Amino acid sequence: MFIQQLINGLALGSVYALIALGYTMVYGILQLINFAHGEVYMLGAYLGIIVLGILTSLGLTTSHLPLSLFVTVAVSMAFCAAYGAAIERVAYRPLRHAAKLSPLISAVGMSIVLQNVVMLAQGKEYKNLPPLLPSEGIAVGGANASSVQIIILGTSLLMMVGLQLFITRTRLGKAMRATSQDMTMAGLVGININRVISVTFMIGSGLAAVAGVMVTLYYGVVHFFMGYTAGLKAFTAAVLGGIGSIPGAMLGGFALGLIENFGASYISSVYKDAFAFLVLIITLLLRPSGLLGQKAVDKV
Amino acid sequence: MVQRSSVYLAVLAAACLMIGCTAQDQKVIRIGAAGPMTGDQSKMGIDLRNGVELAVAEWNEKGGVLGKKIEMLAGDDQADPKQAVSIANKFVNQNVTAVVGHWNSNCSINASPYYNTAHIVAISPASTNPRLTQQGFKTIFRVCGTDDQQGGVAADFVMKTLKPKRVAVLHDKTTYGQGLADFFKKAVEGKVQVVFYDGIQTKDPDYKAVLTAINEKKPDAYFFGGVYPEAGRLVRQAKEVGMNIPMITGDGVYDPTFISIAGKAAEGTYVTFGKDPSGLPTTKTFNERYRAKYGEPGPYSIYAYDAANIILASIKDTGSTDGLKLAEHISKGSFPGAFGDISFDKNGDVTRAPYVVWLVKNGKFEEMK
Repeated sequence: MFIQQLINGLALGSVYALIALGYTMVYGILQLINFAHGEVYMLGAYLGIIVLGILTSLGLTTSHLPLSLFVTVAVSMAFCAAYGAAIERVAYRPLRHAAKLSPLISAVGMSIVLQNVVMLAQGKEYKNLPPLLPSEGIAVGGANASSVQIIILGTSLLMMVGLQLFITRTRLGKAMRATSQDMTMAGLVGININRVISVTFMIGSGLAAVAGVMVTLYYGVVHFFMGYTAGLKAFTAAVLGGIGSIPGAMLGGFALGLIENFGASYISSVYKDAFAFLVLIITLLLRPSGLLGQKAVDKV
Repeated sequence: MVQRSSVYLAVLAAACLMIGCTAQDQKVIRIGAAGPMTGDQSKMGIDLRNGVELAVAEWNEKGGVLGKKIEMLAGDDQADPKQAVSIANKFVNQNVTAVVGHWNSNCSINASPYYNTAHIVAISPASTNPRLTQQGFKTIFRVCGTDDQQGGVAADFVMKTLKPKRVAVLHDKTTYGQGLADFFKKAVEGKVQVVFYDGIQTKDPDYKAVLTAINEKKPDAYFFGGVYPEAGRLVRQAKEVGMNIPMITGDGVYDPTFISIAGKAAEGTYVTFGKDPSGLPTTKTFNERYRAKYGEPGPYSIYAYDAANIILASIKDTGSTDGLKLAEHISKGSFPGAFGDISFDKNGDVTRAPYVVWLVKNGKFEEMK
């Protein structure tokens, strides 16, 4: 059972990690908690189910499964990236120099708007997708890692490595790091701040879209309210790992997934959510800036 | 002068409105329909409302009751007991004569004191937790069975037909779900080994952890006390963690949505629910009329329809809209329902024992003979 729960926890954790990255990247640059981020993930899941539904009706998911999964992820990422950039342009950019609380309220409002838009457009019911992938996968020490779990883990790790390379090795990544250190100074040395922020939102939203599609494959059901809980958990993961830190968000996501699974299986699933928040509180008491977070130095 | 005349006009208009209001109060009999009409379980509340609306429309076609038109007021409790109380208060303020609702047991139980104090008859078409009618309230009834009956039927079936050695019991922590799971557990305990008992969180999409833990105990069957959105996800994920044992569950799962969420994984699930009434001619006419207006009837549409008819027939028989008189009439009378005759015991429960076991087979619920 230990290995099975480890696999379940890693699969769930990698979903949390993908969403948490969006929170942490935006926070790193704008010190803004983007509460609409969970909704972007929900949009990604809806797009996943819509695109996969269309591909299934064309018969492509049976004949070209890997290709149709790739197309679904790509479409969902592109759509959500555009959404993320649009949200920033509409809801946050006009408030960039306003008091700290204004963009936060705007984010909460955006989250409610998106939920209701999807509810009105797609209905209040669960939308579901028949399982596309076989539940058998690889046997690992008496446990079964299902094919969806392997795909989730693989894709997430790929995305995380890609992100890390992008941040550390490219010009735009360097610009992002510079902007997160000091936005004014970065602007003075010729970095187009608005572009960097847009790109940050696009990448974060794209990762959330990947998480959305993965969850669609994993659970097969989507619902307009699903972004709320997932967003809250991913935000917890980001804080656990140290908000603003990219490796921290990854670590926090995996840690949260594992804590939830082990807690639910060895203690009681009644308190599944409580474990996550209990660990968060303990971590913050011992390390106020999170597992990998840097001590906040007030800019003078 | 102009100003003064406009003031007179306004006063006159207001007076007319007030007269209009009281006149309308006397002309119309209001019936409430309460259930979850938004959120996860919205289908159930809408099914319920449609059933009431159909009954009200039929009575209005025949000229209403006591020479008055009947008006239905819908109340959305979102399957939340707090909302249910606010709906109950709203109905009291709107002067409704009677209510069909609520759907969820915890909503019905929390709203019932308000109806009882205001002398409003409330008939639940679907709340099966026994406590609802055991509170000593005179105006509270239900037209469905109760969870002790249901848990007993499920336990009997499991022990006689499936003959498991070990069972696991799971619930959704709600009044209905946990209550039903406990009745099942009580009925099988001592005869079958209960190897696992735990609750799940309703909004959680991921049940793999708890299912893996159940699988570890190697039960031969598992019981779930809860509602279809969770049940659908549970059976689906159970197959993925390699659990190939049947789920036995209650009336909250009896809906085609369960099968559409779970897909093939729903096959082989046993659900306790009322007998198939489609052989009755009254059921056939109900189904035809319902379909013409709203599409396929839900599992509880007919119960809601019957509940509304009982209320309206009692108003007609007693010639009164007084809640206590209606309640007394309902508890003594026998009513021809679309679903067979209905009469009530001293608590307000139906006298017939209505549960049978259904099996999901080829994407449909089939009654077990």
